[in-house]
Amino acid sequence: MIITRKAIPRRTVLRGVGAAVALPLLDGMVPAATALARTAARPVPRFGVVYIPNGVVIDEWTPAGDGAGFAFSPILAPLEPFRDRVLVLTGLTQNVNGLTARSGAVHGRCATKFLTGAIPRPFGQEGNDFLADVSLDQLVAREIGAETPIGSLELSLESGDKGAGTCDGGYSCTYSHTISWRGPRTPLPMEHNPRVVFERMFGDGGSTDPAARRARAERRRSLLDSVRGKAADLSRGLGPSDAARLGEYLDAVRDIERRIQGAEAQAARELPAFDQPAGVPAGFADHARLMFDLQVLAWQSDLTRVITFMVGREFSSRTYPEIGAPGGHHPLSHEGSAASREQLVRINKHHAEQFAYYVDRLAATADGDGSLLDHAIVYYGAGMAEGDHRPWNLPLVVAGGGGGRLAGGRHVRYAGGAGGGRSVDGGTPLANLHVTVLEKLGMRVDRLHDSTGRLDL
Amino acid sequence: MVRVVAALVAVLAGAAPAGAGAAGPRPQPAVGNQAQSAASARSPQRALLDRYCVTCHNQRLLTGGLALDVADVSRVGEAPDVWEAVVLKLRGGMMPPAGRPRPDGAALDELRGWLEAELDRAAAAAVEPGRVPTHRLNRAEYANAVRDLLALDIDAEALLPADDTGHGFDNLAGTLALSPALMERYLTAARRISRLAVGDPAIGPGLTSRTYTVPIAMTQNDRMNAALPFGSRGGLAVRHRFPLDGEYVFTVRLKRSVYEYIVNLDEAHDLDVRIDGRRVARFTVGGAAPGKPAPVSFSGTFVAAGASEYPTQDWDDYRTGADAGLVVRVPVRAGARVVGVAFADKSWEHEGVLQPELREYGATVTETTDTSPRPEGPGLESVTIDGPYAATGPGETASRARVFVCRPDAADTGGEGCARTILARLARRAYRRPVGDADLEPLLAFYRAGREALREGQGRVAEGYRTGRRQESLREGDAESSREELSSEGSGPGQESSPEGRGADRREGRAAEGYRAGDADYREERAAAFEAGIQAAVERLLIDPEFLFRIERDPAGAAPGAPYRLPDLALASRLSFFLWSSIPDDELLDLAERGRLSDPGVVEDQVRRMLADPRASALVDNFAGQWLTLRSVAGIAPDPNLFPHFDENLREALRRETELFFESQLREDRSVVELLSADYTFLNERLARHYGIPGVTGSHYRRVSLAGREPAAARRLGLLGHGSILAVTSYGNRTSPVLRAKWLLENVLGTPPAPPPPDIPPLPTGGGAGEPRTVRERLAQHRASPACANCHAPMDPLGFALENFDAIGGWRERDAGVPIDASAVLADGVTAFEGPRGLRRVLLDRSDQFVETVAEKLFVYALGRGVEPHDRPVIRGIVRAAAADDHRWSSLVLGIVESAPFRMRRSES
Repeated sequence: MIITRKAIPRRTVLRGVGAAVALPLLDGMVPAATALARTAARPVPRFGVVYIPNGVVIDEWTPAGDGAGFAFSPILAPLEPFRDRVLVLTGLTQNVNGLTARSGAVHGRCATKFLTGAIPRPFGQEGNDFLADVSLDQLVAREIGAETPIGSLELSLESGDKGAGTCDGGYSCTYSHTISWRGPRTPLPMEHNPRVVFERMFGDGGSTDPAARRARAERRRSLLDSVRGKAADLSRGLGPSDAARLGEYLDAVRDIERRIQGAEAQAARELPAFDQPAGVPAGFADHARLMFDLQVLAWQSDLTRVITFMVGREFSSRTYPEIGAPGGHHPLSHEGSAASREQLVRINKHHAEQFAYYVDRLAATADGDGSLLDHAIVYYGAGMAEGDHRPWNLPLVVAGGGGGRLAGGRHVRYAGGAGGGRSVDGGTPLANLHVTVLEKLGMRVDRLHDSTGRLDL
Repeated sequence: MVRVVAALVAVLAGAAPAGAGAAGPRPQPAVGNQAQSAASARSPQRALLDRYCVTCHNQRLLTGGLALDVADVSRVGEAPDVWEAVVLKLRGGMMPPAGRPRPDGAALDELRGWLEAELDRAAAAAVEPGRVPTHRLNRAEYANAVRDLLALDIDAEALLPADDTGHGFDNLAGTLALSPALMERYLTAARRISRLAVGDPAIGPGLTSRTYTVPIAMTQNDRMNAALPFGSRGGLAVRHRFPLDGEYVFTVRLKRSVYEYIVNLDEAHDLDVRIDGRRVARFTVGGAAPGKPAPVSFSGTFVAAGASEYPTQDWDDYRTGADAGLVVRVPVRAGARVVGVAFADKSWEHEGVLQPELREYGATVTETTDTSPRPEGPGLESVTIDGPYAATGPGETASRARVFVCRPDAADTGGEGCARTILARLARRAYRRPVGDADLEPLLAFYRAGREALREGQGRVAEGYRTGRRQESLREGDAESSREELSSEGSGPGQESSPEGRGADRREGRAAEGYRAGDADYREERAAAFEAGIQAAVERLLIDPEFLFRIERDPAGAAPGAPYRLPDLALASRLSFFLWSSIPDDELLDLAERGRLSDPGVVEDQVRRMLADPRASALVDNFAGQWLTLRSVAGIAPDPNLFPHFDENLREALRRETELFFESQLREDRSVVELLSADYTFLNERLARHYGIPGVTGSHYRRVSLAGREPAAARRLGLLGHGSILAVTSYGNRTSPVLRAKWLLENVLGTPPAPPPPDIPPLPTGGGAGEPRTVRERLAQHRASPACANCHAPMDPLGFALENFDAIGGWRERDAGVPIDASAVLADGVTAFEGPRGLRRVLLDRSDQFVETVAEKLFVYALGRGVEPHDRPVIRGIVRAAAADDHRWSSLVLGIVESAPFRMRRSES
């Protein structure tokens, strides 16, 4: 074997660790200085995606009338109280270039392309288990998540337990179980257990109680203080190459200590008392609201600024007997009868009610000179129009004020999205929305995926 | 070996490193700037090089980075990097390439032998042990160290990220970096581990609750685990750590199709929950569907339609919710216990059309539509273990026994005497050296702080396990509801809980010694404060740089760049991390502390003792797991349409076969060559069926002789017949002779191919009219391009010999309808062979090359650094010495352990 004395670039190593580590757990501490200082002049940008599976009953979703004078549809009616902070977009498509003519992954491609712009590749071809591209939320997280303790959160209401198998015509289940990709080969798993999410945000102390957070910071500070001295002692007398590793250790210790100092200031910031959830609530709505509460908490404490959330994985067959929709969501979406349609509309509206709960919480939570809702941009929508897997004429709502850059209260229609037949050419790509939103978040890109321009929002 | 040892002894014996020879500057490359002497130009070696090599390998072309026209062959020892590269190519028979003029094999062998002898002679004259920099414990080492230190098995994958690899292993000092993100994880892990080890009374249900899931593609027809009773079917057995004595809630969820319908509910089945083999609950599931069932349909049942009479809603509810009540709450004593959940097996007669076990969606055709009974009955999807609730005490766990070797007596105010005893023992093991007051003081500071914090802590934790009870009351809502479910279940016919399971743990309450007599409350409070102090100190210990890093310190006043002998304590750590992936035990540490490891024979005795210890299975998990790429079995993804029979059971069996085989070779101390030729393997029924070997029944693995048996068995001789290796060297939808050849060249022959160029044309797609169909034909087309042929011509044939094995290691006679052509020719263009048997023979003819490859891999793993040119003579010496002992595993291990690179280190230059 030829062994070359190949240095392993430090960047590579760190990237590898970072990818595996996912994200550091940072004590519920935040760079408080940034959070508090950036208020009126330039509010903290935040970006969220709430994804619903299996499409919707599009006729019951699409509002009547255009522009400011539109009327909320039956499904979107729960959002009516927030009219000024809501944009309804009709007619955007993921279908440009006729790519959807391919067979396979009829669900997975809708979910995967939604934020990545990439068409999934089938399982096992030349060893590629999965392959997509960096998703929009991760692009945003690289930029606005760089300063926060947690770069981004990926959440779901359904566990990915079945993720190891194949779904959807021989494609990896990953394509239907996540919409978030850190890189072409790095899908990010969606966490559905509120207990785990809480622990990731606030550690194992069991509550958001400021005293507990302070105690944790204090404990860590004394631990780090103690080992810092020892590491410095140890590295004395070591040659440079042996001392290098201890140098990394010392750097890491100082890095964490620095952030603890920020956290001390932040600990003064009152968070609602919130105990660590014991597990996954049994009811859908309870689970959904708890997960939305955690998202509000994550933004409120500035632990993270980017969250993607799947109300269900694509292909979800969850039943909703509690609202009179006992048929499985996915089977229902393929039924043509009036009875099944009625159940589907109930499910769609039930989802919208949960989203409205989230919007309401965001509107009620103060942030700088306004509310979280004033400063955030949140997608709510699906990667296909209806259960027939057509990825055009997508159901989409954009909520939030984007820090004054996004004016709500309108229903906007885009041409070419009406569909008809098995495919459409042209139309307005969903990626145009992504490009527009990136700009409003302060990131200017000329093109993304198959974008052809910007939307006037 | 003899020479190496001699050199080593010379250095060790000398008061100072033996002058310029040993400690002098490292050899300078001879390429390019040295004039050739007239004498060397006329040497036979020079003549051979000039005639056959320099056409390509010259200063102008620099093919392969070699300029053999100017390299001074009379001073080989001065340019080991150049000449070792030449040796490597000659060893593999890869140069001169096929089609070029080539001397006869004897002449090439002679040149190689001469070069090796020259290189070895030069190396013997100047010991170069190399230098392993400070080494961070990798994830496996960290977990093993915690196990050995605190008698605590942790879920390392949940606590720490995977480590980066280099040279094929994840224990290389050079790649084990430490980032702030990783430090965060160490902090979190230290807290969690220390709380579990002492049994922190404040541990609530959040900390250790866990859901164990059976993969959807796991077929649950048989007894799944040796920890489950005979006569059980399906389910799982897991070792779960119960942090405290208390009550725990077990929630069972049944296997569902992708349409969320519970599968195979037509008949009633009994489902048992066991803890350490003792049944604590029995449920009956299935066979009670009300109403009318659904018709067959593509995506489940359409109760939603509502228009028709069937299926009825109650039937549908049953198929989605029949497992809602599978919840049981039982008291369990703290510690690691085996939780088993499995069905009582029933006899079934198979009816109807046979279906593949599993298809896409990870479900059978019948499961997807869920209308016809399957022979196996329902399966298990997951078990959630939630708790502790109503904790009554820390219990008597192995960890507490390991940690609390003493209790403060009445005279020991503050408990510092005992704390010092405890922490001194732990710190000695954790730091792998004797410890003094200066080492204990920081730990004692945390002990004091932890004790005081608990005393002052609003009396909260000082109440001992009342905290657990209070948490319980906070969660009363949850607990009540599960109790209700329980009682309603209990009153029905479905569930009975075993009385001995419920009461047994209550009898022993907080039984730890020391706070039984006298004023119970006061003593309990004192004990709780003491334990909180120990917890804080252990937390501190676990993030100490001396625990996380293996630091080898150059002796004071060492000359720069000089080799020096490692002290016994450093050697003890090298031994234990090599053989156990863990910290030394007391015996090894004792010997090292007394300087006994330098005594003749002591190291050998220790190595033999350590190899016989169960901890040596780390060599299977970490050395073989990576060298033989067994870890990749977890990642293979066979195309379910081509391999509908591939299930998780087979995946597991593929990996286990090779692990068990390797372990038996190691434990029985066989010759390493037997890895290629052994006439036995380890099978269970699933794997035997895959291989077509009859007479193996049941899910447990057993040793099966392959000697003198039917062809199906004869094909499986040695590693090359192992499905694990054949599958990890395939793609999901086809075999890859190229990957298999690469695997053999790297891991068996030790002559890895050059990496592929950046601009590779894709493999032609097969299948069209007049187009090649088999993989072999497609590769032949690929090789038609001269650029491709350069690398692939000598490489691919090795893989062709294995074409009878399909992408999951099954045997096949045809590929794409065409009979398999398994004929092949070696890189030398002459040696022809056919099929696995022929390949095995060819490799056994080159067993010296295989042994050297094993030695090289083991060397990298043992030292945690890559092989440098100056190590090659050492490795050749190890192999030569081991030949006397038939190349047994112990002889290679001892050779490495006794080599200069393992025993010595070069000081920082």
